[in-house]
Amino acid sequence: MVKRARLPGALLIDQKQPITFTFEGKTYQGYAGDTIASALAGAGQWVLSRSFKYHRPRGILTMAGQDSNTLVQLLGMPNVLADKTLITDGLQVEAQNYTGSLMNDKEAEISKVARFLPVGFYYRAFFRPKGIRNRIWEPIIRAKAGLGKVDTRHRGGYYDKAYGHYDVVVAGGGLAGMSAAISAAQHGASVLLVDENPILGGAMNYARADIKGKRLRARCAQLRQTIAESANITVMTDTVCNAWYVDHWLAVIKGCRLHKVRAKQFILAAGSLEQPAIFHNNDLPGVMMGSAAQRLMNLYGILPGKNAVVLTGNDDGYGVALELREAGAQVQIIEMRDLALAQATLHDGCVAAGLRIHYGSAIYAAKADRNMHHINGVEFGKIAGKGTIAKEHQQISCDLICMSVGYTPTYQLALQAGGKLGYDDDTAIFSIENLPKGFHLAGSLNGVFATDDVQADGQRAAAQALDGLEITHSLAADFLPVMVQVNHPWPIFEHPDDKNFVDFDEDLMVKDIRNAVKEGYNELELVKRFSTVGMGPSQGRHAALNAARLVAEATDRQVRDVGVTTARPPFSRETLGVMGGRVFSPERLTPMHHRHAELGGHAMRVGAWWRPGHYGVGVDRVAEINSEVRNVRENVGLIDVSTLGGLEILGADAAQFLNRVYTFAYLKQPIGRARYLLMTNEAGTVIDDGVACRMAEDRFYITATSSGVDRVCRQMLWLNAQWHMDINIINVTAAYGGMNLAGPNARKVLQKLVSDEVDISAEGFPYMGLREFQVAGIPAIVFRVGFVGELGYEIHVPATAAEYVWDQVLAVGQEFGIQPFGLETQRVLRLEKGHFIVGQDTDAMSTAEEINMTWAITQKKPFFIGKRSIELRNRALSKRKKVGFRLPSGITSMPQESNLVLKNNKMTGFISSVWLSPTLNAVIGFAYCAREDAQIGNHITIKCDDGTLHQAEIISPHFYDPDNARQKL
Amino acid sequence: MFIIDCPWCGARDQSEFSTHGEAHIVRPEDPETVDDTEWGQYVFYRNNVKGWYRERWMHAFGCRRWFNVLRNTASDAIATTYVPGAPRPSLPEDT
Amino acid sequence: MSAKPNRVGKKPPQKYSIFSLAHQAMQKHTGWQAAWRSPEPQAEYDVIIVGGGGHGLATAYYLAKETNVGRIAVLEKGWLAGGNTARNTTIIRSNYLCDESAKLYGHAHQLWEGLSQDINYNVMFSPRGVLMLSHNVHDQQVAARHFHALHLNGIESHLLGPEEIQEKVPLLNMHGRYPVLGGLYQPRAGNAHHNALAWGYARAADQMGVDIIENCGVTGFMIKNGVVKGVKTVKGVIRASKVGVVAAGHSSVLAEMAGFKMPLESMPLQAFVSEPVKPCFNTVVMSNSVHVYMSQSDKGELVIGAGSDNYVSYTQRGSFDLTDCTISPLIELYPFVSRLRMLRQWAGIVDITKDRSPIITKTPIENLYFNCGWGTGGFKATPGSGHVFAHSIAAGEMHKIAVPFGMDRFTTGALINEAAAVMH
Repeated sequence: MVKRARLPGALLIDQKQPITFTFEGKTYQGYAGDTIASALAGAGQWVLSRSFKYHRPRGILTMAGQDSNTLVQLLGMPNVLADKTLITDGLQVEAQNYTGSLMNDKEAEISKVARFLPVGFYYRAFFRPKGIRNRIWEPIIRAKAGLGKVDTRHRGGYYDKAYGHYDVVVAGGGLAGMSAAISAAQHGASVLLVDENPILGGAMNYARADIKGKRLRARCAQLRQTIAESANITVMTDTVCNAWYVDHWLAVIKGCRLHKVRAKQFILAAGSLEQPAIFHNNDLPGVMMGSAAQRLMNLYGILPGKNAVVLTGNDDGYGVALELREAGAQVQIIEMRDLALAQATLHDGCVAAGLRIHYGSAIYAAKADRNMHHINGVEFGKIAGKGTIAKEHQQISCDLICMSVGYTPTYQLALQAGGKLGYDDDTAIFSIENLPKGFHLAGSLNGVFATDDVQADGQRAAAQALDGLEITHSLAADFLPVMVQVNHPWPIFEHPDDKNFVDFDEDLMVKDIRNAVKEGYNELELVKRFSTVGMGPSQGRHAALNAARLVAEATDRQVRDVGVTTARPPFSRETLGVMGGRVFSPERLTPMHHRHAELGGHAMRVGAWWRPGHYGVGVDRVAEINSEVRNVRENVGLIDVSTLGGLEILGADAAQFLNRVYTFAYLKQPIGRARYLLMTNEAGTVIDDGVACRMAEDRFYITATSSGVDRVCRQMLWLNAQWHMDINIINVTAAYGGMNLAGPNARKVLQKLVSDEVDISAEGFPYMGLREFQVAGIPAIVFRVGFVGELGYEIHVPATAAEYVWDQVLAVGQEFGIQPFGLETQRVLRLEKGHFIVGQDTDAMSTAEEINMTWAITQKKPFFIGKRSIELRNRALSKRKKVGFRLPSGITSMPQESNLVLKNNKMTGFISSVWLSPTLNAVIGFAYCAREDAQIGNHITIKCDDGTLHQAEIISPHFYDPDNARQKL
Repeated sequence: MFIIDCPWCGARDQSEFSTHGEAHIVRPEDPETVDDTEWGQYVFYRNNVKGWYRERWMHAFGCRRWFNVLRNTASDAIATTYVPGAPRPSLPEDT
Repeated sequence: MSAKPNRVGKKPPQKYSIFSLAHQAMQKHTGWQAAWRSPEPQAEYDVIIVGGGGHGLATAYYLAKETNVGRIAVLEKGWLAGGNTARNTTIIRSNYLCDESAKLYGHAHQLWEGLSQDINYNVMFSPRGVLMLSHNVHDQQVAARHFHALHLNGIESHLLGPEEIQEKVPLLNMHGRYPVLGGLYQPRAGNAHHNALAWGYARAADQMGVDIIENCGVTGFMIKNGVVKGVKTVKGVIRASKVGVVAAGHSSVLAEMAGFKMPLESMPLQAFVSEPVKPCFNTVVMSNSVHVYMSQSDKGELVIGAGSDNYVSYTQRGSFDLTDCTISPLIELYPFVSRLRMLRQWAGIVDITKDRSPIITKTPIENLYFNCGWGTGGFKATPGSGHVFAHSIAAGEMHKIAVPFGMDRFTTGALINEAAAVMH
């Protein structure tokens, strides 16, 4: 086990709590609070991964979870950020993307053929002769794809969602964010302060603004105290505000929970991301951001190198140098600016400490050991011009190169909100404009870097937010910060052997970007797509600015004209599990649901509903269905129809309303009568049907299809929002339980459940009659319809009593041979009777004329929805028509629904319903066929699944009881 | 994920609402007298404006009532909501 | 029509091959020609195509290659292929139900199969197979109808049962909220590289003299006596004998400039890309009834498609509700993805017709043609769409495959029944 001493005073680790874990099979020790990367660095293991294309060794770059150099594999979890993920006892960590071992990756050889793999090489070859790509090349390319391995056996973990509502949400808990949160909260606003780190403070926890390095720590402690004492600030650490949507809807993610947060005002104080310099071997372990070195020292107590070189283009590099020196390292500074520009407090501190500073110089190349596992020196020289270094080079032996050459604002959420990123090519200062109302920036996102100014800028943002909340305050809303130039305008240097990386994720070098432009991909977005710069796991965080600079240079434009990039959610890579949350599975059960299970019903899912398809032991589905069919035809059956949609239309204009919405006539429909309903849409297509029961002059109880009722209700509400008729529309589907009692013995059964005063004789309660009386003592709406073609009573009772009534009907029906029947049985029964089902026998184009329902369309009404389109479509009739057909019962190959109707081997239609009718002893069905063939007596050709062709005779679709004698009994 | 100010219930999340396309598509007064082209325009053609757009929304998981929304389809900003039959609000200045 | 111009520029066009790649490697790749020129617009063209996405570039390519139209320009508002071409899930299939659609998409599919060779650019068409899942009886019936219709049209497809599906896609959860009852599998379908398609067409068209002009937004049309005479652009007026508009989500905006409406609504269509992982998902799997589509790219990213939001928006940004409604069922269908991370998300602006079929049409303005309404499924049709549109514009009469897709169908009622079973 490898174990080394840490520096004292590390903020995030507890050296009293050692933790052991393995990396690549070897055991390491770290401490509670250590990330995988810090623990490994603490043990001297700097190589963490192999790069995507050239398999170069990579190590810590940002120590902030903002790069993909540290992506490692946990058990079944690929691409985990080693610099953000905490170690736990026994954690097994593997490196990714190598063959052999991490330290000796056989695929690193690919660097040698890199010249044959220029950017976009795959567009230019591997496609001749035809077919070769898919047989030969694609398998090779796919084998090289990807980084980590996903655990395909993983069955999903626990994820969920929460909701939050705040006056102000502040994203970023550094100095600006803390300052803004405090100021807003002090004026009474409810505040959510979000930070992705384990503790608030941001750069105050590791950076230094003064020579002694005390000032920021002290201020941080004081602010943290204030926030802890503030009742109306909610703090969420280890939390990322990952997306912004319109009206400040924020995806805030902590662990496995997604908080859907709505803010009235949003303050983005997410700070800045330090940017790399570009020189030969700038990607190897030992080269890191200055801030990464500071994080390692101050947060984790790790000295990242004994001999350090700091490449700086701003004042922050001197802070890094002082930090390293205090921790015991030898330090030299390569300053890209001249002495005159570099002079500032921290610089002077370095001079006083005797650190050697090479002014006006830059790194030409980093030197590394043979395996490139770690850098061991640096070659540098005077800057001769933009991007070039004078011929005379010097060398320094070193084991650490820190880069402090500039920052990009963490602009992602602002750009998601429509913000426009500006860049001043002269000062290399960014700006963000065009933000939506209520979206404020604070701190370095505004280009403010000086400590006091950052704090003041936080207050200014809070002032703006309070203005937006219309809360009075005395905060200064305007102040003029000192603009500090933190970005060197051109930290990009040539090298004859390249390997000067612009994008570490995608292994892209300076020449790759230039070549892309040269080949005509001259817009940044095209360069991005052609070269894939910025498309890797770190989403261009460290590539976007330098890529834009190179494109600007190559196209002779300014960076501000080229634009840096766009940003869409998410800000950070986020697991799909968190986004999806818990998976809910809504189900609807009828009031009699449990009875069906007891009776042996075979449940089938119909939309959200569960319904019994048929009952029985389930040995022979067809036989069981047919047995239920026979029982309905010969005795009596009972089916649960509670899923049927129910609507009440109340009011003086109720009949008039139905007359406008449905195709039939309802004005003169007598009270106590039911009438068929057919609905078409504005395009004249059949979309729903049902039954209208006139309960009173001003009251209809109507049914709609199970799947259509919500749509029908919504549409009715819309229509009446326009028409302002005197009606109310109420969806009562769930208020009633329904059952249909059908068969020649139906009246005998019902008679047993109603009092003697109720006349249910054929004369007293005729077909299409409607009555309200008590069934088994429960008030019921009862109407006579003939969907299955037998004497039948549809009984609708309050849902709470439905199971009771169901039980009573079955009980008294015993002596008459009653059996429950299911949905599939009902479908056979109605087919025999010749009734169509919306959605089964119609599609999104079906007209009433095609399906022979013109009888349900009255021409006498001046208007109904669909009337005009029906007339139009009746003038130019479609090519198809729905027909009934029959095949002899003896056929060996049974046609199925969806089998085609052919004519001269061309499709003219298809079967929408078919069954071997137990009643008629013949195969009957509905089919669409060519209009010209749709005469009774003609034959159509049906092709079965096995290719058998049948000649089916077209007959009347009213296969069973065409005179309707049985349903009128 | 805009906030919609339901004229009856107040400001609610977009998730509570369903949307049903352009508003003020007026059915020809007498459908029988218009020609097929005009009728087809009524049924199928929409202005599909990039900019301020009047559209129909319904508070599906709320009061279930319909109303109109004046929304900018280029930015998703909502200027106002109004009940059916109310006078059409004029377009905001910044179009 | 004037004579065809010679290739503009001195050198003959560079051919892409493994040999040119090796040759260039010796010169450190300094010798590659620009894939296309960046010309300034000329004063006049025979045909102007408005819209530099895949469909527009394909149209220009086939105009230059197969018709006698001389001077051709493609005008693009932003950068090439920056619209829906860059914002889709690259699925290619031709399993459509109606004869009209089957012909159109079948035509496209045929062109796909030889496209890399034709345009000398690797469009990476990968017929890895497309599987459409059935989750309920209705889905199964629709799948069966498609199967039979495809069989009749000579397009190979197979109805698979649960066992065969589990074997083909072992990562699929067969028994969750969306039980898998079966599926329709088209082995010759697959996906391709969206950018390569557009860039390949652009390069090939450019080599035949087509002017491809980026950053050249159209601000209006010049129309005289009902005949189009040219376009007004941010780079000035450009005259043209004929104009073809292929502007996807912005079709209505352009139609308004020409003074008419289109039967379209433009809505956000979201897609998602995961971080790259080692290949684990070889088939393109679509689930139409829950609107989730997934495939794995050659780079290792899982590419996930959603259904469209249902409100008009030009923001290229959808709602999180729809993201939610896509990812939840995705996890239910493929539990292993819950630990995968999403890297990018985007939204295209899709122009949707009421019958979910495209519009390839003449317009009320003479010599002004529109090709739009591809909705959520235009990528697969790109070669066929461009091909029939090019021939229609050149001839002044709609290509026979395009005839049923005229906008007049919305007034005659002869809609194309693909809406019966919306598929993407």
